[in-house]
Amino acid sequence: MPDESNEARHVPSPLMRESLMDKGVIAGTESPVRAILPHANVIKIGGRSIMDRGREALLPLIDEIVANQSQHTLIIGVGAGVRSRHIFAVGLDLGLPTGVLATLSAKSAAQNAYMVSCLLAQHGFVYLEAPFVVQLLPGMLAAARGAVFNGVPPYDLWEHLPAVGKIPPHRTDAGAYLVAEVFGARKMILLKDVDGVYTADPATTADAQLIPRISAGELAARQLPTLPLDRAVLTILGNARLATEVQVVNGLVPGNLTRALNGEQVGTIVHR
Amino acid sequence: MSGLDPSAVVPPIGDWLLHGSVDDPAVLAATDAMPDYAILPWANVVKIGGQSIIDRGRSAVYPLIEEIASNLERHKMILGTGAGTRARHVYSLAMDLGLPTGVLTVLGTAVAWQNAQMLHYLLARYGIPFIEPEGFSVLPHYLMERGAVVCQGMPPYKLWEQNPPVGRIPPHRTDTGCFLIAEVFGARKMIYVKDEDGLYTADPKKDSNARHIPRIALHELLAHDLNDLVVERAVLEMLQHARHIREIQFVNGLRSGQLTAALDGEPVGTIIFRADEEVA
Repeated sequence: MPDESNEARHVPSPLMRESLMDKGVIAGTESPVRAILPHANVIKIGGRSIMDRGREALLPLIDEIVANQSQHTLIIGVGAGVRSRHIFAVGLDLGLPTGVLATLSAKSAAQNAYMVSCLLAQHGFVYLEAPFVVQLLPGMLAAARGAVFNGVPPYDLWEHLPAVGKIPPHRTDAGAYLVAEVFGARKMILLKDVDGVYTADPATTADAQLIPRISAGELAARQLPTLPLDRAVLTILGNARLATEVQVVNGLVPGNLTRALNGEQVGTIVHR
Repeated sequence: MSGLDPSAVVPPIGDWLLHGSVDDPAVLAATDAMPDYAILPWANVVKIGGQSIIDRGRSAVYPLIEEIASNLERHKMILGTGAGTRARHVYSLAMDLGLPTGVLTVLGTAVAWQNAQMLHYLLARYGIPFIEPEGFSVLPHYLMERGAVVCQGMPPYKLWEQNPPVGRIPPHRTDTGCFLIAEVFGARKMIYVKDEDGLYTADPKKDSNARHIPRIALHELLAHDLNDLVVERAVLEMLQHARHIREIQFVNGLRSGQLTAALDGEPVGTIIFRADEEVA
């Protein structure tokens, strides 16, 4: 065992010498969180649901984003879409691990985010890679009331391991949500190609009902085979401190984004 | 516009992925059956503790540097660093200011980075580089040429770190970051170098009745639901789902020769392993 001369040099702090794995120490750190960007809204443009449809789906949405620029500050995440599914397929076939699939897929979302930023460039929106979201985002929002980011969280090779299979569990809904939570954003809106979350798949079940409001825990417990948002969001939302709601709206319907930004009940709200 | 044509060029799994939902249990099960290619099966990931080793200064670090150097010819090592006491200070300060968990991760990463830089300068005479997460593509080359690389142990989650269920401390820190490096590369070993002989029934620094555990099955350790642990809880959760790493080893870096023994495959310290029945 170490002698006294071998003692660690400590910086005095309430956590000095403590084990950060100790449940009591962890519980003792519970304390209020301050919203860093309380007026900002995070919206996410779906990959397969919006981007892959091209101009027909995307350009009206771009117009609606611009129309809201004077009223609402928008941090715009973008999904990866079908190219990420394709590289998942090739990567899985080659035996590559989840962390590599996550790194590869992030580039597909980066392409989509960059295209969205080009369409919004004349209004001052820029695309920010993760390190620039950390450092430059507030300045960009002050200058243009908006910026675009990659929906895939920057977990790269360090992506968590899924319970079943090899698909990266944290995709663009989760990545966009985490941005809303860390900045304490006013709204988190997921733009999809369906009107919200249904009691069953509306494409195959005639009496499927739209769910206007549901808790993340209750939605997870229903074990619906398909959901219009990443399942990981339901887990992460359970630990929300600031962004306690996610609103799923149909981005193909003009006006939906504006209504959601104005606080109207449209689509489905999934809450903590 | 429509998507890519799956019939053209995509491997068989592509039909599922291009048309199905990636949260569909059937699709996930199909991906579960895919092969696992070990990218660096001869690499060993070694995590050097922050508070337990580096904060002690040269009395702890110099002998360990010598031991690492003496293993360069025989073992390939990815050396990740912990954060330690300055992380505890900055976490305390940031929480007092009301800043969220993601900001704490950004701050903690800087501390692990400082420790990695210091380790790097002490190993520089052996040609050992420091690499950032963004530079990991050159890692295999340095391992082949020089036998080791130094990196900071925090996963690069930045503001995207998830809140813990309780409290404010980032749940995925340097133990987790190093574990995920070992898993993604299909590494030979994941060794944690700390200042204890491994796992105990309680914190031996605080409880004189704490007993040493040389080897324990993951499910058994989880069943104990211990109040304190030698490793971040996230590592144990991830070990349950790992496809390459089957065990993790904890050695005392203050005892000369323990790291070498672990690299040579000897059962020093504590080994937490996944029993066969846990391997899906």
